[in-house]
Amino acid sequence: MAELEQPAGRFRVIARGKLADGRVQSVIDSSTARLRTNRIDAWDELGDVPERRDRAYEIRMRAIRDIDRLLEEFRAALGARGGKVAVCATAEEANAYIVDVCRQHDARLVAKSKSMATEEISLNVALEAAGIESVETDLGEYVLQLEGEHPVHIVAPAIEKTKEDVARLFSEREGVEVPPVLEELTAAARRQLRDVFLTADVGVTGANFAIAETGTIVTVTNEGNGRLVASLPKVHVVVTGIERLVERLDDLPTLLELLGRSATGQRLTSYTHLVTGPRREGEEDGPDELHVVFLENGRRNLIDTKYEEMLACIRCGSCLNVCPVYRHTAGEAYGPVYSGPMGAVLVPLLVGLEQAPGLPHASSLCGACSEACPVKIPLHELLLELRRDLVDQGSASRMERLGFFLCSLAWSSPLGYRLSTRLARIGHRLAPRLGPGRVWARGRELPAFASRRFRDSS
Amino acid sequence: MTDIVDLFVANAERNGLIVHRGAVPELPDAVCSPASFGLADPGSIVFEASPQLPRSESLLPDVHVGVLEEHLLLPDLTALLARVGGELPSSLAIVSGPSKSADIEQVLALGVHGPREQHVALVPSGRGLAR
Repeated sequence: MAELEQPAGRFRVIARGKLADGRVQSVIDSSTARLRTNRIDAWDELGDVPERRDRAYEIRMRAIRDIDRLLEEFRAALGARGGKVAVCATAEEANAYIVDVCRQHDARLVAKSKSMATEEISLNVALEAAGIESVETDLGEYVLQLEGEHPVHIVAPAIEKTKEDVARLFSEREGVEVPPVLEELTAAARRQLRDVFLTADVGVTGANFAIAETGTIVTVTNEGNGRLVASLPKVHVVVTGIERLVERLDDLPTLLELLGRSATGQRLTSYTHLVTGPRREGEEDGPDELHVVFLENGRRNLIDTKYEEMLACIRCGSCLNVCPVYRHTAGEAYGPVYSGPMGAVLVPLLVGLEQAPGLPHASSLCGACSEACPVKIPLHELLLELRRDLVDQGSASRMERLGFFLCSLAWSSPLGYRLSTRLARIGHRLAPRLGPGRVWARGRELPAFASRRFRDSS
Repeated sequence: MTDIVDLFVANAERNGLIVHRGAVPELPDAVCSPASFGLADPGSIVFEASPQLPRSESLLPDVHVGVLEEHLLLPDLTALLARVGGELPSSLAIVSGPSKSADIEQVLALGVHGPREQHVALVPSGRGLAR
């Protein structure tokens, strides 16, 4: 779980570097602006977005509050189709299960399609340690794997890479020059990965939803790699959080219609794939074995707490695209897996607040994230709750506590209040030069106080 | 009937599917497969895995043609799930566009791993591919 932990101060250091990098600033600005505009246009086209968001919220919370029954129902339904279900409490447990499945089949090569859950458990590291090669097949993830980097956006993982970056990586891989032209790069990826699909022993995918009623795994993709990974290798392993369950098949249209529109502005992505069990009698392809690994990894602890709504997240990324903090600091500062407002809430909840104390502060609390969330998670309110918890844990520095103590003392009496407003005219010149005030004032222009107080003007 | 056909054609073309009405087009190197259903909204074709139709047939070719008989057109996703829900196939793929990616600089590229061109031949009922 070390992957998710965020020591204090890490965010600020990385963010400062990104803020100073003009290229990153312009790439992030234009890409998130495009994704945001696409989402807004697609929502406008729907017309009845408020009702749909209410329905989606109800579907998600109904499932989360009944997760144990749904897990059993899913297990029974998929079991009847010949699929296996494992519920894993930790990342280590999930990785051990998957490595074990690979060993049973003497697997040497694993083909992966994009999955944030496998990033969360660092599955590639576990497979490599077991001597098994694992290749990412989503175009963006493949680029990042060649570069040895992590996703910086949950929907567009390689959002900071340019054509020239990709051409360099693909050329190194192929040993011949691949020009930085989009069509050539796409063709090179198709060429380099086709063999992986055809020869992989095991395919690993995530899941966008798991339907308890029918034991069905639903994935949405645009490239087709997800369907190939679920169709060609002899073994298919699905890794997903327990919270991705939904109760009924007819819950699906509401969620799919919002997911595509919120993530990329598409009414449906190119491929929506419903897998219900392994290959059946007489079918030419499809896996002989299907394993669904449900990951808890801290999620179960959130049910029935003030944070349980975070489990409703459908990973569309729309909160990232509207967040003024994400849009300037970019994704890396948040850590290697989840970024933006959803990451700033989810990561501390999964690893413990003390392991990621900086993330709840990576927000201006403007509320744009909550407005953009298709399943109505009150993200900025959850961030504020996390800050409250931090304060309760005594996380504030001595200077900060002293400052607020003096404030509350002064403002408890009319005299103290009057004095404080007199002092403010001097204090506001000193504050940006002293201690924590200096950090706060950096990059800000502080307005000057009026020469006469408002209360003195009447 | 024409209403749902027109809606399907308009939506499918907007999604980047190439629609042919009346007959299966002659295309070099194209693979043709029977589609189980079409969805007027949002303009998709559906492939169900079966002993007659492998999962990868609609995925591996560079140019693919889904042959859809008109009577298989359904209004939307909800109608599809009501129709297949009792007995889901091992794999059901709802195809709403060609294979594409915007992972590099957020610019659209076609034919990443699946078909670069996804055609739909919308044919009269009973004139589909026999399998």
